Amino acid sequence: MSILEAVNVTREYRMKAETVRALNGVTVRIAPGEFVSIIGTSGSGKSTLLNLFGGLDRPTSGEIRFDGRSLSTASSREMSRYRLESVGMIFQSFNLIPTMTARENVALALAFAGAGRQVRLEQAAELLTRVGLQNRLDHLPTELSGGEQQRVSIARAIANHPRVLLADEPTGNLDSRRAAEILEILAGMREADGRTIILVTHDQQLATRHADRIVRLRDGLVED
Amino acid sequence: MNHIDIIALALRNLRQSRLRTILTMLGVVIGVGAIVTMVSFGLGLQRNLLRDAFARIDLFTSITIIGPGADALLAQSDGREEDGGTPEQPPARVLDAAALAELRAIPGVRYVQPQITYQGIVRYAGRTRRIAVGGAPDNIDFNPRFNDLLAGRYLQSPSSAEILITERFLANMQRRPGSPRSGGGPFRPAPLKSDEERRREAETAIGQTLTLLTLSGGPGGPAESTESVFGIPLPGNSNTINTAGYEERVFQVVGVLRTGEGIDFMPGGNALAWLPFAEVERLRQVQGDPLRQLGEMIAGESGYQNLELRVADLSQVEAVREELRRRGFNFFSISNQLEEVRRVFLIVNASLALIGGLALLVASFGISNTMIMSIRERTREIGIMKAIGGSDGEIMRIFFFEAGLIGLAGGVLGLIAGWGVDRLANLLANRWIARQAGQGLRQIDFFSIPWYLAAGAILFALLVSLIAAIYPARHAAKVDPVIALR
Repeated sequence: MSILEAVNVTREYRMKAETVRALNGVTVRIAPGEFVSIIGTSGSGKSTLLNLFGGLDRPTSGEIRFDGRSLSTASSREMSRYRLESVGMIFQSFNLIPTMTARENVALALAFAGAGRQVRLEQAAELLTRVGLQNRLDHLPTELSGGEQQRVSIARAIANHPRVLLADEPTGNLDSRRAAEILEILAGMREADGRTIILVTHDQQLATRHADRIVRLRDGLVED
Repeated sequence: MNHIDIIALALRNLRQSRLRTILTMLGVVIGVGAIVTMVSFGLGLQRNLLRDAFARIDLFTSITIIGPGADALLAQSDGREEDGGTPEQPPARVLDAAALAELRAIPGVRYVQPQITYQGIVRYAGRTRRIAVGGAPDNIDFNPRFNDLLAGRYLQSPSSAEILITERFLANMQRRPGSPRSGGGPFRPAPLKSDEERRREAETAIGQTLTLLTLSGGPGGPAESTESVFGIPLPGNSNTINTAGYEERVFQVVGVLRTGEGIDFMPGGNALAWLPFAEVERLRQVQGDPLRQLGEMIAGESGYQNLELRVADLSQVEAVREELRRRGFNFFSISNQLEEVRRVFLIVNASLALIGGLALLVASFGISNTMIMSIRERTREIGIMKAIGGSDGEIMRIFFFEAGLIGLAGGVLGLIAGWGVDRLANLLANRWIARQAGQGLRQIDFFSIPWYLAAGAILFALLVSLIAAIYPARHAAKVDPVIALR
């Protein structure tokens, strides 16, 4: 039984007159607790696939299934619920809200889940402690290094205990030492909590370091 | 995410672009301020004019029955008639003794009093004028107007040589002939004298003698030559009127009636002096009032020109009116005229509100614009919120709350600003009046902000802001996170 599946998925984008096909019939199955790296060059469709897994986007055809249930028929409300509870996303550019402190950024995810103010500030502090930022709680993103910012975003991604973590080039803006640290943290999330990790990267070496399996994409297709 | 969290987020967003928020809010403040100032002025005007009328229940229980005489014919030709005065209406009934008895028998009628006036030539304090003298009722228990005396007392016995004058009579006597007539209609400006001054002036009139000149002949004669000869105003002295052929009767002034502020609905219309009813009746017979004779010529029948009918209780007014209509009396009562005045004010106030509303409409475009700009700037933030689980509804609510907070704060500040403008204008107006008319005047409040205007203005500002936020908020909710986060 897979926790996440993409079954014969295509995704087309309309750009002015022409239609660009980012995914061209991709089938990928991810088992619970698996660490899968998806690699490919830029334009191979790897980020598109991750956005589909993350519920930010819907396929043109084919379907995405989470825990056996198809997301095709989910309403936009159910999709936001899915993004809130089932998956946590980590981005290359961190995507922290620049006017909020580290703690507030993490607490925001808890607020969407309905946690009270006091509870979420405490939980945010615990989550940040877990990624080693106990001394940076009240810093704004601009006051943090790239590696620290990415750790804030990991804390935010796991705030509502999702079963899957989706990381889109999480180390793309980091030097190799920080990159290694981030990957250690992600691997630790799998070891400690049994989370499924899907890592998208173009870096062959990074992809293989912790992964159980590697999926290669080229021109919108899975390479065997 | 609960509403408190959303308000906190909205407030945080507003604080982040403080200047823009303040400028947007300023638009709402001006709009609401304009509405409050305009409408409060209209309401103040309405209140000042109608205060006396509404405060006095006796006005509403009074019905004037109009006879078929010249007065009624005049009323019909001006369209002054109020009830069913359509051309098909049969002519009004003759108001004779039989009609009086019939009216007195209608249930709910407290009393019926003929209203008679008589155009008399009066000499007072060395000046001569032609004025209307009214027949004062014998019983004034239900006629509170006659109890409102500035000085002196009411007529004591029906046959005594006493006369009651009005404050307007004194003013008319002081006025130089030919100068503009003041206080002719029912809407006259509040007198600019203090109560103290008015009372003092009235006191001096008590005990003075007043000579009434009665023509012993028929109609015509010197009745037309009143205050001017061939339109040329003459100084008021007795030489200007040829008094030959008049019978002189001397009365003593025993009381001065107060002239009301706002609408003065004095029974008997514009009578400036009052004699006992029987006395006026007799004088009319002697003089042969030309109007009355004209009325008789046209209607072919005598009777009173008008009757004042008093209904015992306010709740019975409609039934009595219905009964009068059924019996074919031509009548007029204040209640429908007040309805008319109210309707006029409703239109005036609505127009004033509309002008203020235009300012608020402009402000609403400002709100829309601010929201759209803010959403443009925060597209990425909206994308992040969606990616971490924020729903479309939550995103939409954040923007509705932002607009709502601008509207609410702008509404409250606008109300305060409108109130401030009112107070300032009031201060300046009263100061100006004081400078024009001297000290010791009663301060007039020209504006009125009742609770429903205050609450309505704030709610309206809130509503307009929320409407202005509909498009931007929906736009925000539709942000595609994939594009926003690219």
